Amino acid sequence: MKLTRSRSMRAIVVAVAAGSLALTGCSNDNGKKDNGKDGSAKKEDAAKQSKPVAYGDAAASTGPAKEVAGAQSGGTIGVYLQSDLSHLDPGQIYVSDAGQFSRLTHRKLTNFLEDKDGNLTVVGDIATDSGQSSNGGKTWTFTLKDGIKDDEGNEITSADVRHTIERMYSKVIFDGPSFVQTWLSGKDYRKKLPDGPYKGKHLPDDVLETPDDKTIVFHFDQPRPDLPQALAMAGYSIVPEKRDTKEKYDKAPAALGPYKIAERKPGKSLKMVKNPHWDPKTDVVRHQYVDGYDFTTTVEQASQTKRLVADQGEAKNFIQFTTSVDPGQIQDVVSDPEVNKRTIKGFQPYVWQMNFNLNKDVVKDKKVRDAITYAIPNKSMIGADGGKYGGELAGGLFAPTLPGYDPEYDPFEKSKTPMGNMKKAKELLKEAGVKEGTKITYAHANSPRAEKQKLIIKRTLEKLGFDPQLKSIDAATYYEQIGKVKNPYDLYITGWGQDWPSPGTVVTPVYDGDLISDGASNYSHINDPKVNELIQQALTEEPEVAAKTWEQAHHRIVEEINPAAPIYYAKQLQLFGSNIGGARYSTESSYVNINDLYLKKP
Amino acid sequence: MTTLTKTEDTPSPTGSDAFLSVRDLRVRFSTEDGIVKAVDGLSFDVERGKTLGIVGESGSGKSVTNLTVLGLHNPKTSTVEGEIVLDGQELTTASEKDMEKLRGNKVAMIFQDPLTAFSPYYTIGRQIAEPYMKHTGASKKEAKARTIEMLDRVGIPQPAMRFNDYPHQYSGGMRQRAMIAMALICDPDLLIADEPTTALDVTVQAQILDLLKDLQQEFGSAIVFITHDLGVISHMADDLLVMYAGRAVERGSVREVLRAPQHPYTWGLLSSMPRLGGDINEELMPIPGSPPSLLNPPTGCAFNPRCTYVDTVGGGRCSSERPPLADGRAAACHLPVDQRQDIFIDQIKPRLG
Amino acid sequence: MLQFLIRRLTGAVMIMFLIGAFTFFLFYTVPQDFAALSCGKNCTPENIAVIRENLGLDKPITTQFWEFMVGIVAGRDFAAGSCPAPCLGQSFASGEFVWDSIMDRFPLTLSLTIGGLVIFLFLGLASGLLAAWKRGTAVDKTVSGASMVLSSFQIYFLGPIVLGLLVYQTGWMENPKYHEFTEDPLAWAVGLLIPWAVMATIFVAQYTRMSRSTMIEQLQEEHVRTARAKGMGRKYVFFRYAWRGSLTPIVTIIGMDLSSLLAGGVVTEFTFDLAGIGRLAVESSVTKDLPLTMGVMMFGAFFILILNIIVDLCYAYIDPRVRLA
Repeated sequence: MKLTRSRSMRAIVVAVAAGSLALTGCSNDNGKKDNGKDGSAKKEDAAKQSKPVAYGDAAASTGPAKEVAGAQSGGTIGVYLQSDLSHLDPGQIYVSDAGQFSRLTHRKLTNFLEDKDGNLTVVGDIATDSGQSSNGGKTWTFTLKDGIKDDEGNEITSADVRHTIERMYSKVIFDGPSFVQTWLSGKDYRKKLPDGPYKGKHLPDDVLETPDDKTIVFHFDQPRPDLPQALAMAGYSIVPEKRDTKEKYDKAPAALGPYKIAERKPGKSLKMVKNPHWDPKTDVVRHQYVDGYDFTTTVEQASQTKRLVADQGEAKNFIQFTTSVDPGQIQDVVSDPEVNKRTIKGFQPYVWQMNFNLNKDVVKDKKVRDAITYAIPNKSMIGADGGKYGGELAGGLFAPTLPGYDPEYDPFEKSKTPMGNMKKAKELLKEAGVKEGTKITYAHANSPRAEKQKLIIKRTLEKLGFDPQLKSIDAATYYEQIGKVKNPYDLYITGWGQDWPSPGTVVTPVYDGDLISDGASNYSHINDPKVNELIQQALTEEPEVAAKTWEQAHHRIVEEINPAAPIYYAKQLQLFGSNIGGARYSTESSYVNINDLYLKKP
Repeated sequence: MTTLTKTEDTPSPTGSDAFLSVRDLRVRFSTEDGIVKAVDGLSFDVERGKTLGIVGESGSGKSVTNLTVLGLHNPKTSTVEGEIVLDGQELTTASEKDMEKLRGNKVAMIFQDPLTAFSPYYTIGRQIAEPYMKHTGASKKEAKARTIEMLDRVGIPQPAMRFNDYPHQYSGGMRQRAMIAMALICDPDLLIADEPTTALDVTVQAQILDLLKDLQQEFGSAIVFITHDLGVISHMADDLLVMYAGRAVERGSVREVLRAPQHPYTWGLLSSMPRLGGDINEELMPIPGSPPSLLNPPTGCAFNPRCTYVDTVGGGRCSSERPPLADGRAAACHLPVDQRQDIFIDQIKPRLG
Repeated sequence: MLQFLIRRLTGAVMIMFLIGAFTFFLFYTVPQDFAALSCGKNCTPENIAVIRENLGLDKPITTQFWEFMVGIVAGRDFAAGSCPAPCLGQSFASGEFVWDSIMDRFPLTLSLTIGGLVIFLFLGLASGLLAAWKRGTAVDKTVSGASMVLSSFQIYFLGPIVLGLLVYQTGWMENPKYHEFTEDPLAWAVGLLIPWAVMATIFVAQYTRMSRSTMIEQLQEEHVRTARAKGMGRKYVFFRYAWRGSLTPIVTIIGMDLSSLLAGGVVTEFTFDLAGIGRLAVESSVTKDLPLTMGVMMFGAFFILILNIIVDLCYAYIDPRVRLA
């Protein structure tokens, strides 16, 4: 679902694309590390990074950030967006473009530091390190750095951090992540502090504690080994108490990072300028090479691509922010070396999969699900989405950007039968006793890509002897429709991406049977006690140990339940103008590395 | 008196004493379907102070003739041959600039439908004053005074107030009066009235005709009066020209032509006209058939397909040979003059009563 | 005159109310929960409830409608601030006040429309008059032929070609961009030149043909002949008499085109990546953003109604036979 130009559409997309906070990826920057002859990202590249992130100490968290080789200062970088940023209030930010924007202006307790190979370390952002855990991982303590100020020069204190967390309990916030609130106060966290901090009430000290201006302590009822990663989400960026304007904050947020908003014309443009109160010495991740950023939020994907391919005039100073190259123009981009060297390539964090609605009789039999999985011609499906630059055959349900991803894992032997294994599929159907002409309902969005792919699916189902019933759904409401527990469809394609580089942010929301509800992301309605149990276990384990548990859960899901046939891993291909320096694929964002950019000729 | 009545004169009128003299006028339009011979060898003269009536069915070429006199035909699609001499000035070869100086000045025209002939977008006053300013160089103020005077002269009540009215605010009769005022404002020597009363009520019609006559006496203009209404002609004209298919078929003084018409077409015209005091049971005798196509006119006498006397002439002459129109009092018909008189007296006159 | 205006404006208000009501209740016949739609990745039932409450979707439909309508006259208060009259509500999707969003986009749409209109009117009428003046000549045939060719183009076809040529290939011009007229008139004109030119190219043909044919028609009117017969010069008659008569049909077409230009601006806006009312309308309907949809619909209706009144006033000015009462 990439054809998005509105907030709500994008919001849905997030459910799928979830690019915002995708934190791992491949290190294929600027083609420098190309393994493949064709220059497209390869699964092997990603495999190197699919290990749990490291937690950095105070030394690793001390600024300033390492200079980018050859970087110049000055000038303004132009940014193309298809539509306006969905949110500016960090508490509401959960999506790609706002997340990318957040990297320029907001700061968090922790952050991801990415080395030139794409290896990630969680470091302290406004905290001195990635956090100190005690009490078996149930208590986390953060100490604030000196010299952290907002754009009006106010010193940031632990009260501001507490305010940031507590305001997410109020009704002002409804779009952002809720991991930390849920961990602190349970699923009904809003009831624990109904008005947030706005009526003078606070969370008790045994939940969230600020012993002094510089210290903040989180208390959980079970180990939360992922906390430093969760706090690195854009959604947990600091909102200074004094500057909080509640609902209005979404239009004019304070800045802690290197850039602040100078002018915003909703739906049209956004100008960012340097924030003089940002001290580079406090920041180990961000740079402030250019004087500012000019966002134009009305340029369609196809136009963005055309403009950047042409590289004329002001387009030389422009970048694609979160949009990818227009699938229709991928060939123009990669076939011209002059243009190709201005691309970044990598994986996007999500896996396109064919969901089986396990509530429906026609796919109740695993043999039927396996048959369809074998039959799907994955390569054709990729072909309908930009070809080898658009995606890569998926063997399992873990994206190449996820720790625990195994390039060899391919239980349905897709690498051997990329066009589908019809023989095996038919045998399985025969065993299952499926009659010729059995009706099966396939729902798809009415986006151009899905329209192309539906034909492939239809043909495949027909070859299998089904009588496919196609149901087209408005792309804007697609995920709402199929997100209903009692939806009437048998098959539908979805995609899901991680929130941070832990399988916990994939397996839990998508395959945990305890989380089936309208609007939730368990689209297949899988509810397997074994899987549920493994999830509960893994969530409390340290990343290294948890990796094994997640792998076990993953294999059980794919091989023994098969709630969703893996189709392909989505790839990232973005363009930038010829005057942009320092651009490369960011493993952390799965977009261009926004904090390292400079202008070659400012 | 016009030269037309001088039957005893030399056959070829020189037009030297005529104010307007038209000689062998031929007007052709090229259309998508071919060449239309709208006027085909027409000659006539008009003297100062006299009125020439031209009658004929629609499409007989009477209006085209007069538009051609004013040079208002479309030069791109039509060709004009022959002579039009106005007061010694040859008009067919005159420049557009010269023609513009003549129009509305020396020669003025009154049109049939005063509603459509006035522009709805400008006041009557302005439209009347315009030619006066153009031709005399008068100021706006002078032109307005003159216009009001003319409006008064043609019988518009409260002319100063009506000056600023738009055409739609005038009644039909008043519009025609205004049209006459517009035509006369520059004291034209020749007035061409193209069915000026056709669109009006009968009572108004009579008023307008009287007005025209009065004004003619006062201004001494020559008038060419075009109509298909023989009743009006008898009231207005001195001389008469009957046109059929672009040609003159009969001419003479009004009295001559109406009392003793010589051409079968003229007979038809008269017979098809209801008369006051006539027998109510008496049938009107419309001319059979319809006017010929000018794209492809009948050979010989253009009237022959509709004429009842083709056999009387015999020998197929009517369809092979075009009867000439002699000068003076004459009719273009192959029937010998005596026979025409006999037929008229025996067959036609009784019907006319 | 005054009576006419009062009557027409009253009618306009009623029509707008009906359009508003129609849009509003139509929205609710479509079984879509905007709260669920606008809910992001973290779409828990609790979050949906919060969104519903924030947007006022938890209130009865009639109450929502009433509050919306009252807001237009009296203004409303929202959590994000007070929204002065005419308040068209607050966008579900962006949280912006709809009136502000519209006012923000309107200058572009207006610039695009009026600028294009001025250019194609000028060119179209000039070439149409020229063709009529030179009727039947080579000039006439060239102009008429060219207009036939041009009128077969579409913005979405011609736009990218022109962009490709002037921007992508040669780099002679920048991509179209909107600058405030009041800030920098030159940048404003330069930024919109390509869309104007493309719009003009497409619309000019229609005006050429129409002005040519109405002029030719008018030139055959009897009053034109009368004017010639009274000795007025050809040029004078052409420009005073025939032209005056052509104004009414031309104004009618301009009125209709202005409406469709405003409504159809969406194609132009998407072709040139500009943010105007058209884009706003599409975005609002795609995202099921009720207040924005209502706002844009009612604003558009208002504008078109006003335009109609202006056109009627023009008729009265042009043609004294038309009386406004």
